[in-house]
Amino acid sequence: MPPSDPGTMAKLRLVGASKRFAVHDGELEALRPVDLIVQPQEFVALVGPSGCGKSTILNLAAGLLRPTDGMVFYDDQPVTTINRSVGYMTQKDTLLPWRNAADNIRIALELKCRAMPRDEAALRVAQIIELIGLKGFERHFPAQLSGGMRKRVALARTLIYEPETLLMDEPFGALDAQLKLLLLDQLQNLTMLRRMTVMFVTHDLGEAITLADRVIVFSARPGRIRTIRSIDLPRPRDVFKVRFTSEFARLHEELWDVLKDEVVMGTDV
Amino acid sequence: MASQQISAENGIPVVVWQIGVGIGFLAAWEAVGHTASGEWTSRPLLIGQRLLQWFSGPLYPHLATTAIEVVAGLLVGVLSGSVAGLLLGRSPVLAVVLRPIIVAFYSVPLVALAPLFIMFFGLDILPKLILVSIVVFFLMFFNTFAGAGQVDADQIAAIRLMGATSRENFLKLVVPACMVWIIGGIRIALPFALVAATTGEMLAARRGIGFLLSDAANQFDMTGLYAALVILMLLGLAVSEAAARMERRLLRWRDATE
Repeated sequence: MPPSDPGTMAKLRLVGASKRFAVHDGELEALRPVDLIVQPQEFVALVGPSGCGKSTILNLAAGLLRPTDGMVFYDDQPVTTINRSVGYMTQKDTLLPWRNAADNIRIALELKCRAMPRDEAALRVAQIIELIGLKGFERHFPAQLSGGMRKRVALARTLIYEPETLLMDEPFGALDAQLKLLLLDQLQNLTMLRRMTVMFVTHDLGEAITLADRVIVFSARPGRIRTIRSIDLPRPRDVFKVRFTSEFARLHEELWDVLKDEVVMGTDV
Repeated sequence: MASQQISAENGIPVVVWQIGVGIGFLAAWEAVGHTASGEWTSRPLLIGQRLLQWFSGPLYPHLATTAIEVVAGLLVGVLSGSVAGLLLGRSPVLAVVLRPIIVAFYSVPLVALAPLFIMFFGLDILPKLILVSIVVFFLMFFNTFAGAGQVDADQIAAIRLMGATSRENFLKLVVPACMVWIIGGIRIALPFALVAATTGEMLAARRGIGFLLSDAANQFDMTGLYAALVILMLLGLAVSEAAARMERRLLRWRDATE
């Protein structure tokens, strides 16, 4: 590995990383070899049809999967085991049903590697509950919360320990449009405030353009990168209004032209 | 729900019907008891008298003996069974090696082990305690083992990414996730614990409700026999009520709804 200059060191680097899964009648190629560099504090959105390997990339970055070929580097170190520098918010929330909202949010702070005094942890939990709009729901169990509230708890639980990189897999997929915008706004504020690097998987092109520094469009399975487009709108953006600007419309049209072919081809079998 | 419908239709609360049926049954029994075959059926009034007499003192050493066997056996069996289930359920290597052995032992009808334990450990509490522990162990083991295998892999990934060690993963995720199964196991095990204790006592004992029962039977004391059965029924009810309370308390989150 070449010596790296900390000033230009990539946060995440995929070098010819590919993934094939064994299935009953042979192999499924989930991801063609991909080269990708994510800079520190960059917000990258991954879009593409279902099954194009977007989630596979997040799993590679998190160290939950090993690439079949190629390498994955985090801070220039090869990712060979679970990557504890990332917070991962999956499509399905993984809240613990026996813990109420506040206790779910606190769980990372109970772990030895992030241990902190009880009252400090309580303060952090109270702060993030306030920030993310969960006040009054602290004692609710996940079963008592609406889908939107559960997403907020999952987001708070991931943000509370301030991971330097956030991996998000369609985190707000099933929410109504207004609530989604609200959460996107909070996400943008928090990740910028805390200087996080973000990889955000979505199938909503509008969401991607609203938030990202770069949008990466994937082809249908087997997934590979079709297009990488920088979004030059200054951040932070007004998530409620940016979609009515002409630049946004132009970018949307440009990227949709690329994406639509893939969506047609990538219709799930 | 159903009970409300009945009471709405008839204007008489269900509990009145239940008391009525109960009294009718006891009255019929009392009547049969006065006939020629009465010496085999005894009579509710005689049984009641016997129970009163027992409750005035002589019952308590027997009750205490059975209670200690059941409670201590449950403690040992629940702890060992759920720990074994958790460990084997989360460790494929241990499971492959040990599970067939456990299954083989489980194929022996457990009550058939009672004479063996009585030979080894005498007539007192110990052999029954062991029998109860073993019966409970197997029920707890199989239940917890099934639960431990079903812990959500995504939840494990999530807590490991947060930085949980294997130990923290086990204590904060696997154990509480298996609580539903452990408590389900305890609910199944409770009546079996009572069965195991009384069976052991009936085979050979100096004290215990099972001893009261077999002692009465040996002396053709039908009233004593029925009285002992009533005590067992009350014990069984108390045990399942305790189980239901514990389940409600420990699994509050599951029943929580708006």
